[in-house]
Amino acid sequence: MTETVAAPPPVSPPPSVSLPPAVPTRRTGVRRTAVTAALLAPAGLTVGALVLVPLALVLRNSFATADPYGGIQGGFTLANYHELLDPVYLKVFGYSLGMAALNSVVCLVLGYMVSYYLVGRPPRRQGLLLLLIIVPFWTDFLVRTFAWINLLSPGGPVNALTDALGLTHGPTEWIPSQGASFVGLVYAFLPTAIFPVYASLRGVDPALGEAARDLGCGWWRVHTRVLLPLARPGLLAAALLTFVPTLGVFVIPVLLGGGKHQLIGNLIVTLYTEFRNQPMGAAASVVLLALMIVSLAVFGAAAGRLRRAQRKGGTS
Amino acid sequence: MRSLADRATGWLARGVIVFLYVPIVVVVVLSFNDSDVTYKWAGFSTRWYGVLAGDTDLLSSLRVSAEVGVASATLATAGGLLAAMGMARLGRRFRAVFSGGLFLPLVIPEIVLGVALLSVFGTLRADLGLTTLVLGHLVVTLPYAALIVLGAHGALDPALDEAAADLGCNAWQRFRRVTLPLLRQPLVAAWLLCFTISFGNIVMSTFTSGVGTTTLPLRVYSLLKGGLTPEINALGTLLVLFTFLIILGAGLRQMRRVLVGGDGTPG
Repeated sequence: MTETVAAPPPVSPPPSVSLPPAVPTRRTGVRRTAVTAALLAPAGLTVGALVLVPLALVLRNSFATADPYGGIQGGFTLANYHELLDPVYLKVFGYSLGMAALNSVVCLVLGYMVSYYLVGRPPRRQGLLLLLIIVPFWTDFLVRTFAWINLLSPGGPVNALTDALGLTHGPTEWIPSQGASFVGLVYAFLPTAIFPVYASLRGVDPALGEAARDLGCGWWRVHTRVLLPLARPGLLAAALLTFVPTLGVFVIPVLLGGGKHQLIGNLIVTLYTEFRNQPMGAAASVVLLALMIVSLAVFGAAAGRLRRAQRKGGTS
Repeated sequence: MRSLADRATGWLARGVIVFLYVPIVVVVVLSFNDSDVTYKWAGFSTRWYGVLAGDTDLLSSLRVSAEVGVASATLATAGGLLAAMGMARLGRRFRAVFSGGLFLPLVIPEIVLGVALLSVFGTLRADLGLTTLVLGHLVVTLPYAALIVLGAHGALDPALDEAAADLGCNAWQRFRRVTLPLLRQPLVAAWLLCFTISFGNIVMSTFTSGVGTTTLPLRVYSLLKGGLTPEINALGTLLVLFTFLIILGAGLRQMRRVLVGGDGTPG
C-alpha cells in the first residue's frame, strides 16, 4: 500500500467507481506527502528554528569580535578561543573534566550495584523498588540540591552524627566545599545512571551468572567476566548521561561549593550574564559542544565495537 | 546459597536507596521546624507554611511557572503527537533522520541550548518574557513528549485504523475516534511529565526569562544564594508532594516505559 509502483499497467476501469484506488495516483501521492509534511512541521520547525539555527548562530558568534558593551560586533577572529587558553579558563576545563569523570565513575559503580540488586528481586518487589528510584528522579532538582544544605550545615544532622561518633567536635563547616559539591553532583545524577544499567542488566538471563558460578567462577569473576560485559550497553549510556551533563552544571557548584571551583556551566553563565561578553561565552559553549561530540563519538565507537563483537560471538 | 559478597552488595544497594531518601525526608521534617534557622530543631510548627502562603514574590513566580508549564507541556505534547503520526508515514531512512533531529536536544547540554536561544532572541531584539520562556521550555520538553507518544503510537495495532477506514471513517474521524482514545493515557503521561520538567527547569529559564517573569526555580535559586530558610524547606516539601501526585497521575507503567524501556513490566 505504501510502496508506489512506477507505472501501473493499464487496466480497464472497474464497474464500481466508489472503491478507493488500490494504487496511489499522482494526486493522492501529493496529498499524502502534504499531510505528512503538515504533521511533521510543528516538531520540525521547533528543532530547526529553536535548536539548529540558534546553534549555528552561537558557532558564528564565537568567531565574532565584541563591541564595547560585550555585544556581537561581527568580523572574524580566533581571539575568543585564544583567550580561553588562559590558565584561569584551562583550570575550569580541567576541573570540569575531572569532576565529570569522577561523578560518572561513582554513579556507574553505585548504579551497577543497585541494578544488580534490583534484578535479583522477585518481579513485584522489583516494580516497587524501581518506583523508589523514580520518585527522587522526578523530585525537583533544586529541592534535591538544597536538601544537602540542611544536611551538611554546621550543627545539622550529619554533623550531629559525626559528633556522636566522635569524628568531629562541635559545629563543623562542610558547606561550602568541593566535597559538598561532589556529593550534590552524585546525588543529582545517580537515579539517571541507574535506569539504563538496570534496563540492560534486566535483559541478561540469570542462568548465565549461575552457570559461571557452577563452573567455578568466584563472585568477582562472575561480575567482571559475565555480567559486566553484558551490561556494557547500559553502562555506556549511563556514562554518557552523567559525563556530558555534569560539565554544564552551574547550580550545584554555586550552592554547595561556594562558587570557587567552577564547572564549564558556571563559566558560560558568568561570561553571558556577569561579564556580558557574548563572543567569549559563545566560544566556551562551542568548546562544551565539542566535548559532547567527542564523548558521543567515543561512546558510540565503543558501543559499535560491542555490537560487532556480540554478533561475531553469536550463539556462543 | 548466596555468597557473602552478594549479600554485601545487597546491603550497599539498600544503603544507596536510603541515601536517595535521606535528604528528601530531612527537607520534609525541617519544614515543620519552629526555628528561624533550618538546622536547630525547636519543636513542631506549621508556621513556615503560613509564611509561604503570604510570600507574594514566591506566589507570583509560582504563577509564572504554572503558566509556562501549561503552555509548553501542551505545545510539546501536541507537537509530539503530530510528529509520531507523521513519522509513521515516513520511510525507514527519513524516519531515522527525523528522529535524529527530534532527539538531538536530549544529548546537547541544556546550557548550550539556552545560550543559543538567547543569542537568537538577542539578534532579533526580542523582549525576554513569557513567550521566550515557553519557546525555551518547548525545546527542552518536546523530546520527552515525543519519546513517550512515539513509543505508544508505535505499539498501536494498525489493523484498528484500517478497520475504521473500511467502515467508512475519514482521516479526521479515525484520528478523533480511534487514535486519540487509544493514546489517551500516554498523552496524559507525556503532558504531566513535560509540565514537571518545565516547572522544575532552571537552566533554560536562566537564559530565557525576562524582567517580571521570574520562574519559581529562579526565585528559589536567588533566595538560596542568600542562605537556606525554613520557608524554602516548606516549599520543598510541597514540591515533593507534587512529584508524588504527578507520578500517580502519569502512571507507573508510562514512567517505566520512558526510563527503562520495554513494556514497563519488570523481569
